[in-house]
Amino acid sequence: MGGVLNAQFPSRRRLQNVVRNTFRHLFAGAARSWTRNLGTTAPALGSMTLLLLLSGLVGLSAFGLQRLAASQAADAAELHIYLRDDAKQPDVDALRAKLTANRQVTAVSYTSKADALKRAQRRPGLPELAGAADDNPFPASLDAKVRNVQDVGALAGSVTASPAVDPVLPTSYNPGTYQRIQTVLTVVGIAGGAFLVLLAFVAIAVTVNSIQAAIHARQEEVAIMQLVGAPRWMVRGPFLVEGAMTGSIAGLVAGAVTLAASLAGLALGASTFAQLTPGLTVGVCFLAAGIVFLAGLVLGSAASLVSVHRQMESA
Amino acid sequence: MPAIVEIVGATCLFGEIVALDDVHLALRPGELAFVVGPSGAGKTTLLKLINREMRPTSGEVWIDGHGAHALRPGQIASLRRRVGVVYQDYKLLPRLTALENVAFALQVCELAVSDEEAHDRALDALEAVGLGGRDDAYPGELSGGQQQRVAIARAVVTQPPVLIADEPTGNLDLETAWQVMKLLEQVSRFGTTVLIATHNLDIVRRMQRRVLTLVEGRLVRDQPAGRVGRLAWAAS
Repeated sequence: MGGVLNAQFPSRRRLQNVVRNTFRHLFAGAARSWTRNLGTTAPALGSMTLLLLLSGLVGLSAFGLQRLAASQAADAAELHIYLRDDAKQPDVDALRAKLTANRQVTAVSYTSKADALKRAQRRPGLPELAGAADDNPFPASLDAKVRNVQDVGALAGSVTASPAVDPVLPTSYNPGTYQRIQTVLTVVGIAGGAFLVLLAFVAIAVTVNSIQAAIHARQEEVAIMQLVGAPRWMVRGPFLVEGAMTGSIAGLVAGAVTLAASLAGLALGASTFAQLTPGLTVGVCFLAAGIVFLAGLVLGSAASLVSVHRQMESA
Repeated sequence: MPAIVEIVGATCLFGEIVALDDVHLALRPGELAFVVGPSGAGKTTLLKLINREMRPTSGEVWIDGHGAHALRPGQIASLRRRVGVVYQDYKLLPRLTALENVAFALQVCELAVSDEEAHDRALDALEAVGLGGRDDAYPGELSGGQQQRVAIARAVVTQPPVLIADEPTGNLDLETAWQVMKLLEQVSRFGTTVLIATHNLDIVRRMQRRVLTLVEGRLVRDQPAGRVGRLAWAAS
């Protein structure tokens, strides 16, 4: 007994032992426990994968919609002022000078009737309309790029009195269109965000419960570790690693599916897909997959941190 | 010699129930003492103060110069490494062998210990408690007395200066209980302070060590070693 209680033990290869024991307790122990408790972890893994997958797909859709909104905003910020077919050149020049002098206007260009026809022929449905008419139905226009989309209406109102402007359809300004797009995007954004928040809540709750179940399954071991004086990080660490493992595996699966789905969409959908989600490239798809993986890692770690804190806060 | 365990005016309240009432106590290094008293007298509460499973409502608890009463949660582990614990129900991990149970406690407390060293020290501890040949047995394959020996080996393998035992013989027959007590006495002989809470008055009388009697949370008698007291609470 004296040897057990009073012997001095030389410290050999301390660092090597510390590293190996730390790795074994934190990572190997967590991996073993994760595998053993796969039954209780599966619901968390499933719900987190679903959350991350939907987040990835919704994120990519949101990216496309944001780019679409940006291009719509750019279109809406360009005002076409249609000219009478019989407009006199001095009147056109005066109108152009007036537009150029306006501080809200960044650029002014002229589109002839022939250019307007060519432009219309590139738009769906309009070639038939252009072909049906005996002569060119599209008017010449002065195209003004406006600094702020909110000023387009005022600019449109200020040019209608010009003798060069077509009295029947003076400008391309349609007060409702841009606002309607914005409203739809806002509603879609709020609904998508709310859905993801709800799903995140469910995923975190399920993960917290699964980690708590893992702690419960090892309650005896945890209690003994605490009683013999294992440091807190060693008692809690494996559960945090377990949560991070669950999150990163869910993130890996969801990221891979997001990547595959978006790449398949890019490859198969080609032009249609590009129109729906402008700006979506292979690089963006990989970035989205990476973000989904990282989100899984963070989500799993955070959920396990919450449950470990709840379950193991000792006296 | 300065006290290694010092309890100064410790009071523990659970709502309106007084578990400990102004207890003063000092234990020297290598001392073996018994805590006796009827059920609910506060014996377990007293032990829980020492390894900081509980903190006193008021008063101070000093272990090896460290104020257990004032420790933050993150500091408790370092205190517990100075206090070995033995329980009535042994608290062994059933899926580990006797050797692994002992080595597990060593390796979670001392990260710098290698597998070989943990194995050797655990084996030494098992041999010291008389279980040298049963190191690869699982707890389920051992008798109650043998399991308690494994628990003692686990408690001493980290060389704590203090060992507390809560009813260590509660599940054992008289002969086995006596062997376990002799083992704990042997532990104290090598400098470890041992405090044992027990109901087993036969053993307390035979050991003739210091006896602390708790009744309704109050330390009503502190009988020095070498004397046989009345243990009056037993008649109450």
